[in-house]
Amino acid sequence: MASPGFFYTHKMSRRTLTLGLTISLITLMAVAAAFIGTSRSGEAGNVAAVEASLGHPVAGTTPSTATSTTAGLPLPSDDPSPSAVPIWPGRLSDARVEDAVLPVMLTVGSIDVEAPIIPTGVDARTGQMAVPRNVTDVAWYEFGPRPAESGSAVLAAHVDLANQGPGVFFHLRDVDPGDIVAVGFSDGSVRRFRVEARTIYRKDELPVDTIFAREGSPVLTLITCGGGFSESSGSYDSNVVVFAIPIPDRELGTVR
Amino acid sequence: MRNLGRIFIVALLLLALPGGAALAQTTDGTVSVLHGIPGDGGFPVDIYVNGDYSAPFIPGLTFGNFAGPVTLAAADYSIEIYGAGADPASTDPALGPLVVTLPAGANATIEAHLDEAGAATASVFVNDTSEIAAGNTRLTVRHTAAAPTVDILANDGVLFAGLSNPNEASGDVPAATYNAKVVPTGATEPVVFEADLALAEGTSTIVYAIGSLDGGSFTVAVQTISGLGAAPTGVPTGTAGLGSDSFPLALAIAGGMALIGLVGSGVALTRRSGR
Repeated sequence: MASPGFFYTHKMSRRTLTLGLTISLITLMAVAAAFIGTSRSGEAGNVAAVEASLGHPVAGTTPSTATSTTAGLPLPSDDPSPSAVPIWPGRLSDARVEDAVLPVMLTVGSIDVEAPIIPTGVDARTGQMAVPRNVTDVAWYEFGPRPAESGSAVLAAHVDLANQGPGVFFHLRDVDPGDIVAVGFSDGSVRRFRVEARTIYRKDELPVDTIFAREGSPVLTLITCGGGFSESSGSYDSNVVVFAIPIPDRELGTVR
Repeated sequence: MRNLGRIFIVALLLLALPGGAALAQTTDGTVSVLHGIPGDGGFPVDIYVNGDYSAPFIPGLTFGNFAGPVTLAAADYSIEIYGAGADPASTDPALGPLVVTLPAGANATIEAHLDEAGAATASVFVNDTSEIAAGNTRLTVRHTAAAPTVDILANDGVLFAGLSNPNEASGDVPAATYNAKVVPTGATEPVVFEADLALAEGTSTIVYAIGSLDGGSFTVAVQTISGLGAAPTGVPTGTAGLGSDSFPLALAIAGGMALIGLVGSGVALTRRSGR
């Protein structure tokens, strides 16, 4: 006759039931809130403004500036110097590259990141940016600008690797506009950047010409993987991207 | 001077082509000029364009040097080259007049140089400014020297074979510093010229062989065109799914338990009220 339910006894009062229901609802809401909290990899800050500040490559011949003359030749003889054709030697450049100052250390205080930077190029097999073997390293795209130079200096690191666990950029999606990023260089100098925006791009829509822009305002671009994950392919469907811009030296006076 | 006459005939033929001299186009082209004819003191020349003798368009250009780049309207141009300081009114040009066509949007290099036998001539090369894949560099070699057919070796492997005057060979290769050698075709020596070429990513490097091998003036002139590099196609930075937006496992379990509680409470309530 008595067929007690899993959560039911005859002695259970209506008040107890109501309490159970309420606790269950609160738990559900907490879970939902926690989920929303973890999926905060959406847009923050003015992403469009940063994108617009980055230029696209423009072909230039040595010397880098082309002299433009009026469409109709001959040139007026009373206008001698301004449009004079530049002359330059076709000498071989010295193959030995001088010791360049390179980025060597990245610090993002808001997510407890302090990691070595290694220069990388392109994975010849895939055409994608070459990334570090270790989840603890940050890669700098050596064919693009250095941090604080014109264009987008790209620092990429893993969100995770199947054989190594969470990576140095696991919490990149938690970086917010206003956070401070510091890059240490091989000559001991440090440049600081302020985060302007964070966003997420589907990988098939990643604006690579903007992310890897070699011209335009100086932007430090931090990038990792995020979004949805495919167990079958072992890869994410999106990239989490943080844009930061150099803090002018005069603003650093009190910090140094 | 026989060769100069031949150039003049070519120039006339070019002039006679349909749509020739008269039709200037609305779009511009970019032109550089290379002096590749050896001579005393670097053989300085003045270059005049379209019969305007009021002043040289390019004054005092010497062997191995470039002038430009200049942006000009796409059109045909008549070019005359005089010894530097010579009066165009009373002397004959050392080379030309040569009519060259600048196509719209083209990046071209006009070169005065020697043919294989050592006579003065001129060539117009259109420079390939197409995009270069990320991580790569473009090397072009133009044989414009009084020298026989050669092979170009890169790090002692044949990169370009059977290159003869006035032809060019080109290829995109990974950006790096290469040891480059010029050797007679099919041979590995004698090495006519050797240099380490630092080829920058996203840059087109054009190497012109100029001068005369027998005359001892054989050398190279180098032009670079930068800003051609494409971006990498992506950034692969995760393989574990730990940072995924998908519902995390722990939260899924907690949510599941809460749901069970909810359903259980609901069942209890229903049964109670149904009694």
